[in-house]
Amino acid sequence: MDISLDDWFANEILVHEGALMRYLQRCWYQRDEIPDLRQDIYVRVYEAAAKARPAMPKSFMFTVARHLMTDRLRRARVVSIDAVGDIDALNVLIDDISPERRLGARQELQRLAEALDRLPPRCRQVMWLRRVEDLSQKAVAAHMGISEKTVEKQVAKGMRLMADHFYGGMQALRAESAMPEMDDERAR
Amino acid sequence: MSVPDSQQIEHSAAAWLARRDAGPWSADDQAQLAAWLERSVAHRIAFIRLEHAWRQSGRLKALGAGADRGKAAACGQIPATQPAANQRLPTDVLPDVRRRGHGSRARLVQHPVRYLAVAAITLLTLSVGWGWWHYANTIEADYQTTIGALDTVKLADGSTVTLNSDSRVHVTFSNARRSIDLQQGEAYFAVAKDPGRPFVVHADGRRVTAVGTAFAVRRDAGNLRVVVTHGVVRMEADRSPGAARQATTLLPAGSVAVASAAGVLVRSDSVQQARDLLAWRNGYLSFHDTPLANAAAEFNRYNTHKIVIADPAVGALRIGGNFRWSNADAFVRLLEQGFPIHVVRRDDTLVLQHR
Repeated sequence: MDISLDDWFANEILVHEGALMRYLQRCWYQRDEIPDLRQDIYVRVYEAAAKARPAMPKSFMFTVARHLMTDRLRRARVVSIDAVGDIDALNVLIDDISPERRLGARQELQRLAEALDRLPPRCRQVMWLRRVEDLSQKAVAAHMGISEKTVEKQVAKGMRLMADHFYGGMQALRAESAMPEMDDERAR
Repeated sequence: MSVPDSQQIEHSAAAWLARRDAGPWSADDQAQLAAWLERSVAHRIAFIRLEHAWRQSGRLKALGAGADRGKAAACGQIPATQPAANQRLPTDVLPDVRRRGHGSRARLVQHPVRYLAVAAITLLTLSVGWGWWHYANTIEADYQTTIGALDTVKLADGSTVTLNSDSRVHVTFSNARRSIDLQQGEAYFAVAKDPGRPFVVHADGRRVTAVGTAFAVRRDAGNLRVVVTHGVVRMEADRSPGAARQATTLLPAGSVAVASAAGVLVRSDSVQQARDLLAWRNGYLSFHDTPLANAAAEFNRYNTHKIVIADPAVGALRIGGNFRWSNADAFVRLLEQGFPIHVVRRDDTLVLQHR
């Protein structure tokens, strides 16, 4: 349990999730594999950082991403030799990726408000009561006349959807279908 | 490696967090959570990621601070658009949250409203104002791409247009309608919902209308192809004197419609198959059992170095796979390896011959 490692990870790695996702979307054809790919990248970065923190976290993460994609391409039986020869195409310069944006407090609040607004209506109402009005889950349940278990489920769902928007990575992936919330609803 | 895959792990992490948030949270619960986190780094990461965002979301209190909460009212369907809530928003949060509530008309409406206030003084000016609101307040723009280039453009209403290689559109937005003239090539549209203002794509004497949906329209010599990946699209002939009357065709998601002078042919595929036709947006061309002649024609849309098929037998070969459209060279090399094909490389062409 290295608490400061967790903080480091949130502050130095997760903040670049938007850029990472744009990169993955550009390089990786199988869109449904991108969440897995992201997870594997994070795991490798985290494990490496547990031994020694990289001096340049962002470029380190992108290097890991590139290696991982190369590995995966090699492993995949369906991919032709030529596609692997084509791996240079994956060598997008990191500078090419839109510059990192550390959000100011106001922008962060704005983004959170947007994230809230994008939730499906019921989930949004639960999150509004819990997060804006700061009611406990129990109070939310009483207020809405629904069970505490349902509130808990909606909170869990809201957490996931809001995180995606907050880190800014999933938008493009979901924009694919133009209507993110609906898609998500259907997928559950 | 991804046996419980990332989505599942994320769901579990969210369930843990929500449970902790629900309380009561015992030492035993904590021990169980710790054990779950220890089990794999992937668990830990999913948890850190959600927890960090969740902690940040505590700042949303700022949206409701000082509210003398008429709780229920304020947290109805669109609480953020309640005036009471708005007053307390930091100034730059306000417009954004609002815009969402009202749809994307907000920006355009500002002008007419101001105008109408003045116009109310006389009836004459008022009627002029009405006409202006409907017809004169238009935005026009042209967008085009060269061979081998894609471009995604955000339009004033929040919709986006992705132009395929060598394509051109003319955009006309007014308060009454959103009109796109596809003059050449192919474009993919992710349309922002605005029921009051239909989004209409004109191409080749036909009209393709959408309300909040995503679809692509492509012009080829003599025909028009529409691919729908989300929502419903209506295709009909443009009203023009002398045009043959053709039935209106409704196209749900997954439809691929090809319209020519002879009529409209609609194929219903899965949404995934429809999306494959739009893989170009990610830099790929996707073929399944496609005649090589067609595949070559696809590549030629993107490259000035053209693939030429010298032999009909070669053109009839069926191929499949995903290929980067920017790399026609790799594509023909692959063909040489896998098929009885010989490639003659000239300055501006790659000629495929039977071997």
